Amino acid sequence: MESQQTYNYTVVRQFAVMTVIWGVVGLLVGVVIAAQLAWPALNFDIPWLTYSRLRPLHTNAVIFAFGGSALFATSYYVVQRTCQTRLFAGGLAAFTFWGWNLIILLAAISLPLGWTSGKEYAELEWPIDILITLVWVAYAIVFFGTIARRKVQHIYVANWFFGAFIITVAVLHIVNSAALPVSLTKSYSVYAGTIDAMVQWWYGHNAVGFFLTAGFLGIMYYFIPKQAERPIYSYRLSVVHFWTLIAIYMWAGPHHLHYTALPDWAQSLGMVFSLLLLAPSWGGMINGIMTLSGAWHKLRTDPILRFLIVSLSFYGMSTFEGPMMSIKTVNALSHYTDWTIGHVHSGALGWVGLVSMGAMYFLIPRVFNRDGMYSKKLIEVHFWTATIGIVLYIAAMWIAGVMQGLMWRAVNDDGTLTYSFVESLEATFPYYVVRLLGGLLYLFGMLVMLYNVIKTISGAKAPEAVPQSA
Amino acid sequence: MSEETQKQAVQTTGHAWDGDLQEFNNPLPRWWLWGFYATVVFAVIYWVLYPAWPVGKGYTTGAFNDIEFTTADGREVVSHWNTRALFYKEMEEARTLQKPYLDQLKAASYREIAVDRDKSAFAYSMAKVLFADNCAACHQAGGAGIIGQYPNLADDSWLWGGTYARIEETIRKGRHGFMPDFADSLTPQQIDDVATYVLSLSGIEVDAEQAARGKAIFTGPEGGCFACHTREGTGMAALGSANLTDSIWTIADVNGAEDLAGKKAAVRAVIANGVKREMPAWENRLNDTEIRILTFYVHQLGGGQ
Repeated sequence: MESQQTYNYTVVRQFAVMTVIWGVVGLLVGVVIAAQLAWPALNFDIPWLTYSRLRPLHTNAVIFAFGGSALFATSYYVVQRTCQTRLFAGGLAAFTFWGWNLIILLAAISLPLGWTSGKEYAELEWPIDILITLVWVAYAIVFFGTIARRKVQHIYVANWFFGAFIITVAVLHIVNSAALPVSLTKSYSVYAGTIDAMVQWWYGHNAVGFFLTAGFLGIMYYFIPKQAERPIYSYRLSVVHFWTLIAIYMWAGPHHLHYTALPDWAQSLGMVFSLLLLAPSWGGMINGIMTLSGAWHKLRTDPILRFLIVSLSFYGMSTFEGPMMSIKTVNALSHYTDWTIGHVHSGALGWVGLVSMGAMYFLIPRVFNRDGMYSKKLIEVHFWTATIGIVLYIAAMWIAGVMQGLMWRAVNDDGTLTYSFVESLEATFPYYVVRLLGGLLYLFGMLVMLYNVIKTISGAKAPEAVPQSA
Repeated sequence: MSEETQKQAVQTTGHAWDGDLQEFNNPLPRWWLWGFYATVVFAVIYWVLYPAWPVGKGYTTGAFNDIEFTTADGREVVSHWNTRALFYKEMEEARTLQKPYLDQLKAASYREIAVDRDKSAFAYSMAKVLFADNCAACHQAGGAGIIGQYPNLADDSWLWGGTYARIEETIRKGRHGFMPDFADSLTPQQIDDVATYVLSLSGIEVDAEQAARGKAIFTGPEGGCFACHTREGTGMAALGSANLTDSIWTIADVNGAEDLAGKKAAVRAVIANGVKREMPAWENRLNDTEIRILTFYVHQLGGGQ
């Protein structure tokens, strides 16, 4: 009978737990390579521990393993609950979990071995790419199948964003990963030269735009109103900013190739569309933050809500910073410096990280049928260590980046360069150490979360405080 | 129900999901909307002024944005705004600033550069970055090199000669430092004897008898060391063979060893394994003036001859 139908939480639970585990792993690798940048000897002269191989492992682990698992978990949870129906094709959903984790495992093996297609954020070699395609198609079938058999008339806004993310990532992945295999572990891109670079950054930018923005906006649109217990601020704003975001993001990729062999007109388009993207991006932030109007006091007592709202502040900051950095003259200073790294991490640690953690704190007790997280105190600890970690990280990289940019372009009165490259590197050293410190704090917070999640799932209750006697 | 909640209740779209998920239907924030329009206006203006849209096989080049510049070979170019022209223009500006100095340097001899304050100041400031970007990876920031790997340029010992002409040749053509290995042609005892003798050349106190045996091998046909290092052990700049008498050790870390046994072991390792080092040629990577400036710089790093 219909009334007997339950939500499929098995796959949600699996992905939720893996979100936390892969989060720890990805951040740990990040901390290791941050330490290597400060002290290069930390690669111990072992090829598969070198920065060049661990860096793609870090990016793949945090984006696709941590971020991917968070997206799978939340989208499966949200789509069922907002469509009022059990997940479509449970077998396929299970396949997406095991397939996705097999992909991550293969990445963790193949990247340190040096098997790479050399495309940033798309380093995995062609057999793994094919597996990704299969898993992704299954994901699309499960997600849109569930939408198709929904019991409510309207599709909730979170699902628009999840849907856009799933469709676009499929297109991006297939187009950018098109390659000619020469062996099981080596292939060459079907594109050549500048066109290859343009396709890569069309992919790379939209991976940020749809994987790390649209997908996580889907998370935001469900978990903020839920946790705040308030309606979304503006339906109209959702519609306008959704369609403008989808329409404009696609064009902004060339700003990754300013002052290169890419034709100037393409660079201009990339820059201008990046600026046009500012307002649509902020639409999501406004909608999320304004949802809290009338309930601001909840921020004082609810650390989960704080995770979600502060993530939106970082989202707003980095989506303002991004268009600024896409302006050619700004980019002339910022490009190739650590400013870019700071920008990415204000988005990744601040927005993607915090919103995922907030959503997990909401979701995990519910799908494991617990009253709440094991310890609210530990969520507080996590929130503050993560936030201070982010601030240390991005402030260090801003200063380092602007300093590098200024040093590289400094010219003496006699027309000679003021600094050599290695001098800028020496000057950066203290900021690399501060960045490492920020990363360590952020990792520590994630470990606290892991502990809290394990305790929650195992059903333990936090020790009760002794009441203060009068 | 208060007036406030009543007003909001009217504003929701009327849909509800998952129990309590609802949406207000507030209008778009004005400042947000006007901000978006502002970026649209900016976009259109930018498209008019700068290269922006592909048209057929070309593209719109933008209006009122001509850039004039002179190329390195003296061609005067007027072009619509483009990033390559910006690069040429920046290079031209630096070139203009450098030109008076470079012209003087070109005409001047090394000695003239050394005694002229302006010329040497310019040479230093240019060489500092040239050296750091091209040479320091091996020879280290101060030119001190790494014992056993890269020669020290900051001491008074010149493997390949310390005159301006020799230094310039070294930079221009590169060098192959080669000493054969003697592990097969000499016995361990003989190698130890030769090492003892080599140490004695720099005034280190060793067993005189053993040193004498080593000298016989060094100067005789068995070792043949003298062929490159000369009978006196002073080396030959033409071959890049080291002077063994000056207490400067760039390959065997003699000064770093604590006792005689350690010093001997360091020299023995060089004799047994030989030396094979290469400095690449820079004549195709740096221009004549840059090589001259580096020559001048390296010459003064150590005691140039």
